[in-house]
Amino acid sequence: MKRAFIFVWVALLLSATCYAQESTPAPSPIEPQRPPAGARMPNTPAQAVVPVPVPIAPPKPNGPVQKSLVRITNTAAEPDYKAPWNAGGLQRSVGAGFVIDGNRIMTNAHVVSNSRYLTVERDGDPNKYPAKVQFLANDCDLALITVPAPDFFKNMIPLKFGGIPALESTVSAYGYPIGGERMSVTTGIVSRVDFQLYTHSSIDQHLAIQISAQINPGNSGGPVMQDSKVVGVAFQGYSGDVAQGVAYMIPTPVITRFLKDISDAHYDKYPDLGITYAKLQNPAQRKFLGLNDDDRGVLVSTVVAAGPSADILRPGDVLLAVDGHPIASDSNVELEGERAEFQEVVERKFRGDSVKFDIWRDKKPMTVTVKLFTPWPYLILGHSYDVHPRYVLYGGLLFQPLNLDSLETYRPTDLRLRHFFEYFVQEQIYLQHPDVIVLTNILPDPINTYLGPYRGGIVDEVNGKKIHTLDELASAFAEAPEHFVIRMIGDGPPLVLDRAKVEAARERIKARYNVLKEQNLEEQPISKTPQQVSKI
Amino acid sequence: MPRRSYIFFGILLVAATGALAKKEPALPAPVKAPKQLALVRVNVTGQSYDYFRPWQKKAPFSKRALGAVLSNGRVLVTADLVANQNYVELERAESGEKTAANVQVIDYEANLALLEPTEKKFLDGITPLEITPDTVVGDRLAAWQLEPTGALLATEGLVTTVQMTQYPIDVGQFLTYRISIPMQYRENSYTVPLVKNNKLAGLLLRYDSRSQLLDAIPAPIITHFLKEAESQKYRGFPSAGFSFFPTRDPELRQFAGETGKAGGVYVNNVEPNTPAMKAGLQVGDIVTAVANHEIDQNGNYVDPLYGKIEFTNLLTAHVYSGDVVPFRIQRNGKPMQLNVTLEHRDAKDYVSPPYNLDQPPRYYVLGGLIFQELSRQYLKEWGPNWQREAPQRLVYFDRFQSELFPDANRRVVILSQVLPANSTIGYDDLAYLTVTKVNGREIKSLADLAEAVKQPVEGFIKIETEEDPKQIELDAAQVAAEAPNLQENYGISFLNRLD
Repeated sequence: MKRAFIFVWVALLLSATCYAQESTPAPSPIEPQRPPAGARMPNTPAQAVVPVPVPIAPPKPNGPVQKSLVRITNTAAEPDYKAPWNAGGLQRSVGAGFVIDGNRIMTNAHVVSNSRYLTVERDGDPNKYPAKVQFLANDCDLALITVPAPDFFKNMIPLKFGGIPALESTVSAYGYPIGGERMSVTTGIVSRVDFQLYTHSSIDQHLAIQISAQINPGNSGGPVMQDSKVVGVAFQGYSGDVAQGVAYMIPTPVITRFLKDISDAHYDKYPDLGITYAKLQNPAQRKFLGLNDDDRGVLVSTVVAAGPSADILRPGDVLLAVDGHPIASDSNVELEGERAEFQEVVERKFRGDSVKFDIWRDKKPMTVTVKLFTPWPYLILGHSYDVHPRYVLYGGLLFQPLNLDSLETYRPTDLRLRHFFEYFVQEQIYLQHPDVIVLTNILPDPINTYLGPYRGGIVDEVNGKKIHTLDELASAFAEAPEHFVIRMIGDGPPLVLDRAKVEAARERIKARYNVLKEQNLEEQPISKTPQQVSKI
Repeated sequence: MPRRSYIFFGILLVAATGALAKKEPALPAPVKAPKQLALVRVNVTGQSYDYFRPWQKKAPFSKRALGAVLSNGRVLVTADLVANQNYVELERAESGEKTAANVQVIDYEANLALLEPTEKKFLDGITPLEITPDTVVGDRLAAWQLEPTGALLATEGLVTTVQMTQYPIDVGQFLTYRISIPMQYRENSYTVPLVKNNKLAGLLLRYDSRSQLLDAIPAPIITHFLKEAESQKYRGFPSAGFSFFPTRDPELRQFAGETGKAGGVYVNNVEPNTPAMKAGLQVGDIVTAVANHEIDQNGNYVDPLYGKIEFTNLLTAHVYSGDVVPFRIQRNGKPMQLNVTLEHRDAKDYVSPPYNLDQPPRYYVLGGLIFQELSRQYLKEWGPNWQREAPQRLVYFDRFQSELFPDANRRVVILSQVLPANSTIGYDDLAYLTVTKVNGREIKSLADLAEAVKQPVEGFIKIETEEDPKQIELDAAQVAAEAPNLQENYGISFLNRLD
């Protein structure tokens, strides 16, 4: 036990000191399908671990929760980034959900994403009901689904939401852990309220509540309750070999924000300021900037050109207050009596909302207003769901834009590719390369026999013309020059294709590798209900 | 091996005749003047510099190795062995007699060094090893080691390939023999000579005990080193300064205007201020012949000894700095000839120097902020897997240095770490940041930084970095006042070293 904690602590320290290294082991979303990871012995058998009973106040009954709980079975197709024209492999998984007002069922986005067919079951009813996804918020791992069958909600009791439960208070988690068919209840206490990485998208950080209740695959999407009210949705945890008794739920501020966002029938995603900032704790730095000795303010380091703060904030500005809340020099604000990262003020807002900053620029106070939206360059750094991967296949050469999904598929060791990914936003690489187009794969054919060494290269130019997006690449290939001379970033020689030979080989390659479609330029949603995934 | 069997055979004869004459115990007759092996033991103690605490050295190491005795009282060892040495000692194998030795010449890139005993007569009585440069694939070489008694331990192996490989200091490629040989562990198996017909054929470069494959620094490289060592000033192996790509792809050949014969390599990149650039070589040229040897599509020429081997061998083993080598090229389909005057490229001529041995690292401590210059020696502090474990951004800078810093005449100054102190409160987590400006002046070396910090602006030292947080300020007076305390607290003997 102790060792596991130390391990996590060490990892945190490393991530703080190692620049651009792998981040801390993130808690994995609770994968419903996988079998339990076996009872594993801890690595340090030197001392017998004596379980210390934690005094837990007996939970108060939360009423007939089974009247609200549903079991969700999702048949999902994960996109195949290695053969993006294929539909992808099918997976079936089980999660939980619960009925809320308006005949809606709330669950995790990761329970219902990439869905091809969805059914729900309820307690004491032998039927499986086909269901439909209404709203999907991958950035906060929440989703709403509904069941078209007219009588489904008749005897169900919609659950109500509570607030943030107090530390050390007892909560109960409901769900179908390890795929069981009957409802399971586990109990634990509220251990910590803090910002956490949401691993479903793997870039978003929001408020999350750590609880000590046992949560396992199949609990995902289930309600966590206190005093007959939902205080959270169980969603992720650590596998037993990293840390034990550490599970996370999505707290109600995030849930109510999601419900409010979709009240206009469209999910807009979390907006972001598009800045990085540094704490202002050094007295000399404060003096240099002409600040008072009052422990206030954070220093703006980078302003993302594609973000809402561009041309409003500048590197070197000091943010003194956000919407009237003073920002402390360690970047915290006081919100309803609790200290929280000042970003929490922005977190609670929506696209189009404004944030007012009191700033300090050139030793003078100023007030600026930022109108919020989601800066698109961040999106390639996270996982995407319910999309068709974009690609262009030409002469057996597969070109794909760099994003987290393609990166994880090919796992390139290439330093340059990794640099382009890591610094895509911070070094504003997206200005030159909105799509970082990588020659990811080659379907062997006599016309590309010698092109192996170009794999992993990033396309810079075709026939002397800079290529910024996949669309531009596709139109370049649609022209009819004698040769295509493709320059990659860096030293290597150009990749030269004889157009006539490629044209002659096209059908042959398509037939040999069963390629249904030679390109896909639109990441359009797969599902027929277009409002569920918004694209920027 | 042959020598050993010879001795053994002689002893047998003596024993056999003795046994025939009288029925006495079959003991060998005492040897009056034992054959003196051309091997000495080399004991080295040294200390590497600690790049994480650049004002100090690491704990001392000691290495035991062998050296090959050459003519004129010189002992040949690998540079690996004596890099960062404090004291080198030679020891006669049979008598255990010892003397101190000096490093006469060292070439880190070719991994070779020459030692000379301080006591001139120390090597008397040893017949020096001659060098045989004609080893080819299929030859058998003996690895010579010493038993604790001083007796010879010889192991025989087969030369399986002769090829160009990277040496430990990664600057271009050198000729290497690869030998399949089951080496045995002995206390001093560091620099092991490989011998053919009692002549030196190579020196151990590296050995993989699992595959039992040994790479050896071959005699042609050793000969080159020795010849150059005789000159007044050792210059090192030459380099041309361009990279190339095979032209197997017919489309690429056609693009480069090469329609004729089926040979040549495509020039990828010509580094600034190198012999290739001075000679006028351009990106897109096809090099078809070097030193009148035709080059095939993969970049190989036909060597009279080894057959097909990469043409870079023509630019290392066989030529010296200052030599003029004719290049035949095709430019836009037209044949041309260029004369490339080869030069050695010094480690200091790189933006991120590939190695820095026997020299203390430069650093500058400013109120707890530690500034250093990026070098591969610094990155190697992360261990054998430094390419994966060192800060990736710095590895990227090192790897693509000629592309990222076309102005070759500079260094990359990094804020490598922060020692917590009063003047660095709030900066403790900063590390591996590239410094662009200090007090408004551009920083292209630690000397620039040292100069710039002397000019505070209104009492503050302002440091600008390429990465977040982009700016760091220190109070110049506070930094100066705190310096003695900082030195005391962290045991920093000197706050900077610029030479």
